[in-house]
Amino acid sequence: MDPDPSPARRRLDPPLPAPPAALRRGPFRPGAFRSPAHGPRTAVVLGRWLGAALLLCFATGLVSHLLQDPPSWLAGRLPSRPVNGYRLSQGLHVVAGLAAIPLAGAKLWTVYPRLFAWPPARSVLHLLERLSIALLVAAVLLELFTGLLNTLQWYPWPFPFRQTHYWTAWTAVGALLVHLAVKAPEIAAHWRRTRSAPLPAPLPGRPTGRPTERPTERRAVLAATAAAVGAVTLTTAGQSVPWLRSLDLFAPRRPGSGSGTGTDSLPVNRTAAQAGTTAVPADWLLAVDGPGGYRIGLAELRALPQTTAVLPIACVEGWSADARWTGVRLADLLRRAGVPAGSTVRITSLEADGPYRVTEMPAAYADDPLTLLALALDGRPLTPDHGFPARVVAPNRPGVLQTKWVARIEAV
Amino acid sequence: MRILRGALLLGGLALLACGLVGLLTDPYVTGPLGVLLWAAGLVALHDGLWLPLVCALGAAATGRPVLRGWLVVTAAVGAVAVPAVLRAGDDHGNPTLLPLPYLRNWLLFLVASATAAALVAAVRRGVRQGFGRAGRARRAGRARRAGR
Repeated sequence: MDPDPSPARRRLDPPLPAPPAALRRGPFRPGAFRSPAHGPRTAVVLGRWLGAALLLCFATGLVSHLLQDPPSWLAGRLPSRPVNGYRLSQGLHVVAGLAAIPLAGAKLWTVYPRLFAWPPARSVLHLLERLSIALLVAAVLLELFTGLLNTLQWYPWPFPFRQTHYWTAWTAVGALLVHLAVKAPEIAAHWRRTRSAPLPAPLPGRPTGRPTERPTERRAVLAATAAAVGAVTLTTAGQSVPWLRSLDLFAPRRPGSGSGTGTDSLPVNRTAAQAGTTAVPADWLLAVDGPGGYRIGLAELRALPQTTAVLPIACVEGWSADARWTGVRLADLLRRAGVPAGSTVRITSLEADGPYRVTEMPAAYADDPLTLLALALDGRPLTPDHGFPARVVAPNRPGVLQTKWVARIEAV
Repeated sequence: MRILRGALLLGGLALLACGLVGLLTDPYVTGPLGVLLWAAGLVALHDGLWLPLVCALGAAATGRPVLRGWLVVTAAVGAVAVPAVLRAGDDHGNPTLLPLPYLRNWLLFLVASATAAALVAAVRRGVRQGFGRAGRARRAGRARRAGR
């Protein structure tokens, strides 16, 4: 910003008085930060990496939100293919989110001296800009923190995870765009590493006339950050990337580890005990409602033509795994009840409560030949944790919508 | 550039307002003040406690780039590993949640990465000393030839 603004500028952006110089102590002192890597070129390079990770998180997060809670105009247009679409998008969401942790750490370290700029606010606009950065940092830290802990199903805070994570994402991306608009000239000046670029503006508190940034220090910071991103990704991404599974040390889930329920190695998000469905009534009958609605027992379901499909369970928490499901095509069950193709379907679970006890399935999924009312997993009857007696499994859907312990299927 | 900046600013302000209004009006978020307090608390911890610690450690390791790099990598992996270590065993009766020996893995990672960093540092020192000896030998040779 201009050190000596024009009168017109002063009217639009009134200057603020500087605090007494006696208060300029500790980190506010000139020269308090000595590492030469606190410069704008480091901030621009790290900002590019972090910005890409955050925007990828935002885009994939929106995909997940829209798949789980589609507005009415979209519900009929959601595609049931590609089979692994949600698995890829939500896996990327969590991988990029975890990679953003070291990136955000490095970026905030780089610009830390600017927190102690003197004077703290030169003008009203400058104060507003600094407040928008406070909002940006707060929103990003809250997103990374709540997202990380959600993968561990750890909720020490008093607010609901999903809605808070969703709205804070809009706040963070909004504040990020404002930040980019404000800093555009500085970003452009340091976008490329050129010798002819103007020397970086001296940092607040740094004596002028000294080189602000030596390339070797900057390269060391960037190399350490890249190594940190690599280490975090390699030791956690095995929960969503099968060929990285052997390097997985810290992911909260391990598909294929065999340490799960004992009968198979597919993780579950909610156990039968948690859902209160360990004891299914002996007279369980599936209700399929429609013009020719009927009730059907497990033995009769098993006697119907069976289909086997390899479909992934892909959880919002980022983990995913393929499994071999065997059961009756959902479309066959619906046609038998006289429900025409192209109908949206409502599925009700035996579980007593929970936000996903009743879910709606758009027609594209209900009519897909791969969508099953599964009775068996990997050739064995379902265990209670995997939804005994019957569960829904459809391609390209979030795991929470793959309803377990199904009690009723009906056209909406 | 001017138009792009203006569009970014207006778009950003619109998304920001959308997020804040959503947070304040969402029927499930009954206590938006709690969200604000947690966000402010995270900023205070990060900027008031964590970053000063990082700066102090960085200053103590000045001139030792491999040690600094190891500290950066360890801090980053620690951010995702330590919560799992703290939470290990707390699976709400779901044995597929947190199934790995996280404490053992964390110690394993510390040892393996420290060993790798020590090797890199030793190789760098060896290369530097080798160059130093070679340089001294070259200088001595030049001096001998010049003296002859």
